[in-house]
Amino acid sequence: MFDIHQAFRRSLQNPEIAYPLAAIIALTELIENSDAGTMFELVNAIRQGAETLKSKLENPIGVDAGCELFIAFVTLFHHESLTLTDLKRELIRQGQKYAEEAMTYRKKIAELTVGFIKDGSILTHSHSRVVMQTLLLAHQHKRISVFVTEARPRGLGLKTAEALIAAGVPCTVVLDSAVAYVMDKVDFVLVGSEAVVESGGLVNAVGSNQIAIIARAAKKPFYALAESYKFHRLFPLSQYDLPSHNSKILSFSSPSRPTRSASISRPAEDTTTASDPPTASASTNDTEPTSSTSITQQQICKTNPHVDYTRPDLISLVFSDVGSLTPEGVSQYLVGMFAG
Amino acid sequence: MQAERGQHHRSVEVLASKLRRRQIVGSRTAALETLVVLRQVVSRARFSNFEQLVEIIRGVGRRLVEAQPKEHSVGNTVRKVLHHIREEYQTAVGQTGPQAGTSTSGFSISKFVLQGQPRRHVPAQKTEVKTTLKEDDPEDPDSFSKGLKPVLMEAIQDVLDELETVYDNVSKNARDHIHPDEIILTLGRSKTVETFLKTAAHNRHYTVIVAETGPSYDGREMAKSLSSAGISTFLVPDSSIFSLMSRVNKVILGAHVILANGGMFAITGSLIAATAAKAHSTPVVVCAGQFKLTPLWNLYHEYGAVDFGNPSDVLGFNEGELVNKVDVVNPYYDYVAPEFIDAYITNDGDHPPSSIYRLLKETYDDEDNEL
Amino acid sequence: MPDKQETTLPTQQPGAAAPKPAGQPSQKSMTKAERRELQEKQRAAKAAAKAEAPKGGAGGSAAKTKGAQAPAKKAGEAGPAKQSVLTSKELGHAIPEEGAGKRGPRIFTHFGLPKPIGHTVKGDIHPAVVRLGLSFSEFKICGANARCIATLTAFKNVIQDYTTPPNSTLSRHLMTHLSPQITHLVAARPMSVSMGNAIRQLKLEISNSDIDLVEQEAKDVLCKKIDDYIQDRIIMADEVIQESAGRKIKEGDVILTYARSSVVEKVLLRARSEGKKFSVIVVDSRPLLEGKALLRSLTSGPDPIPCTYALLPALPSLLTEVTTVFIGAHSIYSNGAVFSRAGTALVSMMAKQRNVPVVVCCETCKFSEGILVDGFGKNELAPAHTVQPHGSTPTPTSEPGLEVLNPLYDLTPPNFITAVVTEVGLIPPSSISSIPLALGKTIL
Repeated sequence: MFDIHQAFRRSLQNPEIAYPLAAIIALTELIENSDAGTMFELVNAIRQGAETLKSKLENPIGVDAGCELFIAFVTLFHHESLTLTDLKRELIRQGQKYAEEAMTYRKKIAELTVGFIKDGSILTHSHSRVVMQTLLLAHQHKRISVFVTEARPRGLGLKTAEALIAAGVPCTVVLDSAVAYVMDKVDFVLVGSEAVVESGGLVNAVGSNQIAIIARAAKKPFYALAESYKFHRLFPLSQYDLPSHNSKILSFSSPSRPTRSASISRPAEDTTTASDPPTASASTNDTEPTSSTSITQQQICKTNPHVDYTRPDLISLVFSDVGSLTPEGVSQYLVGMFAG
Repeated sequence: MQAERGQHHRSVEVLASKLRRRQIVGSRTAALETLVVLRQVVSRARFSNFEQLVEIIRGVGRRLVEAQPKEHSVGNTVRKVLHHIREEYQTAVGQTGPQAGTSTSGFSISKFVLQGQPRRHVPAQKTEVKTTLKEDDPEDPDSFSKGLKPVLMEAIQDVLDELETVYDNVSKNARDHIHPDEIILTLGRSKTVETFLKTAAHNRHYTVIVAETGPSYDGREMAKSLSSAGISTFLVPDSSIFSLMSRVNKVILGAHVILANGGMFAITGSLIAATAAKAHSTPVVVCAGQFKLTPLWNLYHEYGAVDFGNPSDVLGFNEGELVNKVDVVNPYYDYVAPEFIDAYITNDGDHPPSSIYRLLKETYDDEDNEL
Repeated sequence: MPDKQETTLPTQQPGAAAPKPAGQPSQKSMTKAERRELQEKQRAAKAAAKAEAPKGGAGGSAAKTKGAQAPAKKAGEAGPAKQSVLTSKELGHAIPEEGAGKRGPRIFTHFGLPKPIGHTVKGDIHPAVVRLGLSFSEFKICGANARCIATLTAFKNVIQDYTTPPNSTLSRHLMTHLSPQITHLVAARPMSVSMGNAIRQLKLEISNSDIDLVEQEAKDVLCKKIDDYIQDRIIMADEVIQESAGRKIKEGDVILTYARSSVVEKVLLRARSEGKKFSVIVVDSRPLLEGKALLRSLTSGPDPIPCTYALLPALPSLLTEVTTVFIGAHSIYSNGAVFSRAGTALVSMMAKQRNVPVVVCCETCKFSEGILVDGFGKNELAPAHTVQPHGSTPTPTSEPGLEVLNPLYDLTPPNFITAVVTEVGLIPPSSISSIPLALGKTIL
């Protein structure tokens, strides 16, 4: 039995392959292994595979973008003149070809973006492969220096800094909380993306939104880089409308010290306090104030989002392999692919 | 072939040197001259397939753009001609040849991303096309060009016609934009704006405030020209733009170049006027011919002021020794970001800055962005 | 599109927004030598005029009120009514009262007519004041501080030459003697806020003067008070401003300033003399092009400041490198709005837009307790003879259908201003209204 998730993981072993692309590759493999007898069955199998894949992930946004693109392509593929076997072969060929082509997109984007970079300072966020490639290319032509955010909770900014410093690019890590402090020093902000959505907005590592807001306040351009397989037909109305949002994020931990009005029974989901009877007297806890005051990083991680949504009006331009786009321009492509 | 090349060369070179020496100024003039040269080049060109023709035109474009990279209308005109002749070529071969592009071989995921659903016939690879216009005919290498030339000349003529009527067409709805008794602020002297305002004056009584726009002080000529057309006109120094803005209903500006992001380069002073207008929530309207649309996103020189004029226009030698002690800055153009512009009025309709990129895609072919 | 002004057009009363007496923020302050020379002349003139007996001026009250009459109206009264005695030359042209053309808007008419240079001498005007009036109308003395000092100095002469008529006291009568002098000055050019404040202070001192003093003593006391005012409120104030503003100039800074403010000029020169290395961008514009004079002052001397010069339209391309913008003021209103040389608002706006701090240097003697929300009303037009020619085309003049307007001032809204440097410290524009109170004064 073909395990799509395994195939997906296998593709990801290649550090150059992003989630949406890995999903497309996995779906291509699924076709290869499919015994579907009709086109209808084949499309259903692909759909099912996509669902399985998404269900295994906490943050399905990237994978969803890839799957959607591939499914839309498959359903629109002219197949009247082909037998199912030929069609399958053709689809597999297309999938592989795209995966191959897609590997060149970052280079394309880097080349496009370098035209906008002048000597000066750039602020980037967390770690992004396409941003890295762009910065390294820019370094060959321009005198740039880079500020990178630490990007909690995963701290991927350090990875960026290390790589840049190793390549000889002057680079400083700034705290996520110091973005406003550094903003006046930079010429523009350059971030990667998890997905670029229908509104023209951006889904990216958490913190991007606040950086965009600060950039706007400081009147600095905010540029996002996105390979076209990250164009995602999604229209988040707010942060909490993102598929990655769940009830755990921003939830309040059950208080270690119930307040007097805590008469409503709480769902006992937090194991640390669940052992305490909810009726534990206030006086007990009052005498033991140190019992659960230490909050671990892990706990913080659990109640915090990994991605956030940046509104289109905060984004100056999106650089993609299909060209530089205004946020409005992104939705034009999405409409072209998925509407009608 | 060689001899022909040489001939093209001459007319192209003449224009190139004129452009380089700034003997041709003004985007429309430059565009017109470019068209005339292109017409000559195409009429004499010898080519046996379409690629050759495209390459000839691009070569001319490259040469001219190189001569004066600041005059974007030259490149735009070449792009537009290329777009038109491609269209003509497609129809020419489309009518004569079998339907092309229905095969799936041209369809791929990346194309799908780029072009969206194949609901419209996607022009297929030229090499696949079978035509009665025979390309690369070994018997008669000129047969292709002979067959195609009439439509090509027509295509160029279309562009020429459009350019010749551009001011009138920008102005055709002028009276819908200027209401009775309004006060309009404008800067410098843009032919497009001048025609626009004069056209509006046929139907409307309104007032124009012209800022002088130093150091060229083109505004003075503009004010004279407008008042002689019967428009009540006030001429003010640039310094009073802010204080008068509270009485202004609309700011109408000209453009030098309109960029793909919806921003533009315009005469210096445009940005302060546009910013002052924004501070007063006064609408800013830009009048420009479509030939000023340039498929450039590059904001590289956003603050670096693209092009610098003569410093002595600002601080003359009559100031004596001062001139030697002081740096003088005299940029020609301002970059005005799209957020400062409410609308573009073109000969191709009225557009918000956000849809300029779409207009560009319709006007030119992506492959020509770099000539 | 919103036609937000539509309604204002027909309803705008030409006379409603009468220009307030206004002066110059800073420009062309005289050198000490010039001032001394003028004083000599005035002294000579006063000897000739000594014999004339003082007479009360009827029109004096007009000048006392803060929102003085529209100069347009005044000129209208004075001009045709009496033949101008001192008119030496005619103005190049007159701006038509009605908007030119068939249907010019009436909203510009309040700018009024330019005054003939030698306006009518009405009543008993002291020669020093007559001379000063001429200097004002010819813009030979220009700038809020310079005009204030010149006015007070002239009044010292007037006071010294004054004799209290019988059956009257100095504290009661001197003001009626001064009133026509003030009227004369206002007729020459609208009064500046700095002059208004000083004159109000002078009136207060006169009415408070000790009736037991002999006349000469009382006059000496008043002159001393005037000297003190000049010393404390302008000269010392400038010293303090130079110091506190100077502290905001750091090594390697790029300072941008507009036109020419005497205070800003002193701030820059002082910072340079302290050995700071910084550069200055002078932005300038017609009608007056005063920045050239500032350039000369900054670049002459043994230790010139590196300067860049540009016209106002070029401002955006210069702002990226600017650390701080320093501007002077004609006056500041209690809502924090700064009334200053036309163009200042544009500079502040652009700087604010690029997050460059805007610092206004302004003595408290230029504060006005009124509120101004619009630089359109209380403005003044530059007389044709003061307008600087520039550019290859001839300086434009009004003709039928085409009016040339040269407003002298504009109003910078408080939100474009980061800080106001005064002799009482750096204050945000929002706190301007609390300054008189903090100083423990009812009038400034």
